[in-house]
Amino acid sequence: MRASAPRTRARPQRSGAAARGGRREGGGARALGSAAGARQAGGARSRGGSAGARRRTWPVPPSAAAAAMAQLTARFRTENRRFAVEDVPFSVPATSETADLSQLINKLLAAAHADHKYVEFDFLINGQFLRLPLVTHMEMENISTEEVVEIEYVEKYMAPQPEECIFHDDWISSVQATEEWILTGCYDQTARIWSVDGKSITTIAGHTEVVKDVAWVKQDSLLCLLLSASMDQTVLLWEWNVEKNKVKALHCCRGHAGSVESVAVDCTRTKFCSGSWDKMLKIWSAVPTDEEDEMEEAANRPRKKQKTEQLGLTRTPLATLSGHTEAISSVLWSDAEEICSASWDHTIKLWDAETGDLKSTLTGNKVFNSVSYSPLCRRLASGSTDRHIRLWDPRSKDGSLVLLSLTSHTGWVTSVKWSPTHEHQLISGSLDNIVKLWDTRSCKAPLYDLAAHEDKVLCVDWTEAGLLLSGGADNKLYCYRYPATASDVGA
Amino acid sequence: MEQPSPSDGSAELGDSEECDSEECDSEECDTEECDTEECDSEECDSEESSVYSGLEDSGSDSDSPGSREEEEEEEEEEEEGHQEDEEEEEEGAPGSPSCPQTQAKGKRKSLEDDSPLEGKQDLVVHDEYEEDSSDEEDIRNTVGNIPMEWYQDFPHVGYDLDGKKIYKPLRSKDELDLFLEKMENPEYWRTVQDRQTGAEVPLSEEQLELIRRLQRGNFGDVNFDPYEPAVDFFSHEVRIHPVTNRPADKRSFIPSLVEKEKVSKLVHAIKMGWIQPRKPKENVPAFYDLWAREDPNSVLGRHKMHVPAPKIPLPGHAESYNPPPEFLLSPEEKLAWEQQEPSERRLNFIPQKFRSLRAVPAYSRFIHERFERCLDLYLCPRQRKMRVNVDPEDLIPKLPRPRDLQPFPTTQALIYRGHSSLVRTLSVSPSGQWLVSGSDDGTVRFWEVSSARCLRTIPVGSVVKSVAWNPNPSICLVAVAVDEQVLLVNPGLGDRLLVAATDQLLDSWEAPEEERIQPVRWIPASPEERGKGIRLLVQHDKPVTQVTWHGKGDYWASVVRNPGGRQVLIHQSSRRWSQNPFRKSPGMIQCVRFHPLRPYFLVASQRSVRIYNLLRQELTKKLQSNCQWISSMAVHPGGDNVICGSYDSKLAWFDLDLSTRPYRLLRHHGRAVRSVAFHRRYPLFASGSDDGSVIVCHGMVYNDLLQNALLVPLKVLKGHSPRLELGVLDVAFHPQQPWLFSAGADGTLRLYT
Repeated sequence: MRASAPRTRARPQRSGAAARGGRREGGGARALGSAAGARQAGGARSRGGSAGARRRTWPVPPSAAAAAMAQLTARFRTENRRFAVEDVPFSVPATSETADLSQLINKLLAAAHADHKYVEFDFLINGQFLRLPLVTHMEMENISTEEVVEIEYVEKYMAPQPEECIFHDDWISSVQATEEWILTGCYDQTARIWSVDGKSITTIAGHTEVVKDVAWVKQDSLLCLLLSASMDQTVLLWEWNVEKNKVKALHCCRGHAGSVESVAVDCTRTKFCSGSWDKMLKIWSAVPTDEEDEMEEAANRPRKKQKTEQLGLTRTPLATLSGHTEAISSVLWSDAEEICSASWDHTIKLWDAETGDLKSTLTGNKVFNSVSYSPLCRRLASGSTDRHIRLWDPRSKDGSLVLLSLTSHTGWVTSVKWSPTHEHQLISGSLDNIVKLWDTRSCKAPLYDLAAHEDKVLCVDWTEAGLLLSGGADNKLYCYRYPATASDVGA
Repeated sequence: MEQPSPSDGSAELGDSEECDSEECDSEECDTEECDTEECDSEECDSEESSVYSGLEDSGSDSDSPGSREEEEEEEEEEEEGHQEDEEEEEEGAPGSPSCPQTQAKGKRKSLEDDSPLEGKQDLVVHDEYEEDSSDEEDIRNTVGNIPMEWYQDFPHVGYDLDGKKIYKPLRSKDELDLFLEKMENPEYWRTVQDRQTGAEVPLSEEQLELIRRLQRGNFGDVNFDPYEPAVDFFSHEVRIHPVTNRPADKRSFIPSLVEKEKVSKLVHAIKMGWIQPRKPKENVPAFYDLWAREDPNSVLGRHKMHVPAPKIPLPGHAESYNPPPEFLLSPEEKLAWEQQEPSERRLNFIPQKFRSLRAVPAYSRFIHERFERCLDLYLCPRQRKMRVNVDPEDLIPKLPRPRDLQPFPTTQALIYRGHSSLVRTLSVSPSGQWLVSGSDDGTVRFWEVSSARCLRTIPVGSVVKSVAWNPNPSICLVAVAVDEQVLLVNPGLGDRLLVAATDQLLDSWEAPEEERIQPVRWIPASPEERGKGIRLLVQHDKPVTQVTWHGKGDYWASVVRNPGGRQVLIHQSSRRWSQNPFRKSPGMIQCVRFHPLRPYFLVASQRSVRIYNLLRQELTKKLQSNCQWISSMAVHPGGDNVICGSYDSKLAWFDLDLSTRPYRLLRHHGRAVRSVAFHRRYPLFASGSDDGSVIVCHGMVYNDLLQNALLVPLKVLKGHSPRLELGVLDVAFHPQQPWLFSAGADGTLRLYT
């Protein structure tokens, strides 16, 4: 079903109010993302008049002056040329917080460039975001306050701006978006294609069971190839004619003996792999052909099956990788020749796609629901049933090493997704109805909580264009615009 | 008295001797200092002067021997007068012929005086003889130092140098002579007889004067003024001049040798350690704590065998001064009270009513009553209760900490909502992907475990009492007990091949040639029912309360609520064949289970669990549950342990190898236990109760027969809200993960992970 445009338009207001952001570490006070930013900026301007711009020492606000006069020496640096300041040590009040430091930088920039506009900054000390008063943070991190502190500053990440809320008829099991289109899998046994501005393009019906995962294979201007995996144990390869808006099932990938939970397409777009409840990981060809693979089947196949067979040519797997002892919940290609699979048997396994060998096993102690890989930082992020998001280094010799765990969710983490453009950021969806945006440099609390969903969040996605998508059991797909700052790209 | 008795004389002698000795002492003392002067001043015998120095000093010196003798006489008399007044009066009495006596006395005195001087002080005597130029030698009697009374009757008084007697002066004076002399001699009144010599001596004027003064009580010396103004020699005033101007002796400047010697001795003694420095006095209080050594912790430490006194009952209304009228005795009661023996009386007093507390008279039997109380305390046989002080913590067996027994379900992860009425029963598919639940709303629902998605809903029209998923992973079949039917449902979930195979298996049945009499009817499903997934209906004659599968997945058993009749049936689904295993019913059957490994069949009746061997068709074991009413039962996957939940909120763990009695009876729940379950892989078991909670316990069974099972309660899982006095109705574990499902009366199923 296609969600009508007025309804879609009506949503942003509500979802805008629901998007909370900017949670301070430790403090627990959530400031409304944009509103808080505006307020802080206004305060800075009003206060700026009285401050002597030439003074190196940052004037302490009168309220804090009595509290602590301790000063720290800090050196500010940034990757972004645009906001570079003089590389000299500054004396700053020990109790200053992010807002104070941000005002300081802005003042310096305003003194240097006449056309400077106020920019909110965020500050990092030794790769950790500053969320507490400076001295408290340094005490907690065991940084000496005697020496010059190197403070890196980046433009503050703005809160994700809610854009669209796309209504579905049933639970949304999966989502994958490109620059133009959004592909969702739905519990009403269909997959749907939407434009990024929320218009329903087409509905792909063909599965006889719940669609559990979807994936884009190839996108041309005219023809798109896409995949849908379903609980009916098949993966269907579809061809979507964009101009005619026609969808045709090319191949029906048979072979799994259980619900197919996850599909992933490799970087060459010629192969894909699928993980299933039958504990098998299968690699298939994603190239459409005209011939049907032979399928040795029992003589008395049920009628139902033959019906689905009409959807496309039967395709058999190129390879079957067995090794998991429980259902496979998530698969991905970490590079051209490596498949990573997360399973309910508490392991993440890395496979060589060429030979089908098991390369290494990362062992956790809880069921893994989802796994995501970032080529930027070469880390795996896993979401599991014990509410934690764990970061793994798949290259490490000791496969069981957990680099970091991000804990804030209160339910199973059903889905994690790294940012395709930022090496430190990822989003996660959980059964506690909240989508969280994380920065690995601030592992104790997420950057933003996106609390729009009214039911379980089942899937999240993050496009290169900076669109955050989350779908859940409340039949809604929420889109957020999250502009990646220029300084972050490739940082 | 003319003659003093010898005793008197001896007494006198004694006295005088004493005096003498004193005088001699004083003389001794004086000699050193002032002998020279006195010797100079007195040319006469210094013995006298020394004795009567007071008289001598008075200055009435007379060199004549006569006067001296008189003097002596007087002194004698004076002395005597001092000592014995009676004697003096007799002497002084005129006309009394006591001269010889007095003479004798005088002599004796002189002798007495002499002898000590001669005996004791040779020096003085020697000097005296040198200077003595008088003739008194002659006069003196020479009888020695004896009392003169002894010579009273003799004519002589002594002997001269030649041994011839010295005769007393003529005793010719008779009364007449005395009278005449008295008359004629004007000196008579002043004449006294010398006792020693017997001569008569007239007293001089001075002597007389002295006597008179003494008789008046004056001092003998005229010049002595006793009343002259006293000058305080020592006064409070410090004088500029010293009392004596004697220059300091030389020895006061010289270090004393004696002292030096003494000091050196002391120093030596100190060095040798003979003299210890005086120990510092310890400040020890004079009193001490009698009970200081006692252990203060011991209760009544002083009285180890202390038995507390029985308590007096508290006063009641009858004791009040103003009791309510029902406590007052009526006259009949009072009469009865008085006739009773004092020991038999219920009250030992008669309740009385007074207008006010002031009007209450003093209690007359107070002493009596106190005494009785003391008597009671004394005579009352009291038993000492042996109280064992055991720390309750010690009685708790040392269990491993739950944290060490991970994994087990701890938090609620998912809620499966959809049922509109209480969910009686649930079952998990052997793959762990699906969940089936039966509810009072007449539906059976199939759920996806991981997302709490309801995938199928099959309306069956009536209350679903029990559902059971076929444990064989290659068969996709669910048995559902509804009313008097058991439905075999193919949910169509999971592998399509298996679903098809299951249908094929059920459809492959061919009716036997001869119809066998069966307790139930097997009805193939109508096409409509078949569309819902129902494949077969097994019609019983009574409502079915429970269905359970055998592990192989072909046989299943159903329990029918049919008191008195047949209650358990065993069915074979592939052959559509049912049989009644028991000829007679063992009471009211609550629950049945197939043994997971051996061909055993467990039947739980109200109080006991019977284990039958199906091959031999005999009763193997009967377990006594110690519970009132068993509600549910689960068999450990190892097969040697059974747990039973009961409506009296107990959970009994049986070890079949150990005993037919429960190995452990767990009372964790507050209300009836509705359901129990074992995990297939992990050492976990759980029980769901009407109080809305599920309790997960660690139940480790060891292969070692010597080691008993370890049961540790791990976690109370809450979430279900009790409704209609019902809480959790069914629990089941996930077949692979340490997860727990529970079905509650609030219409939800919950997953705890």
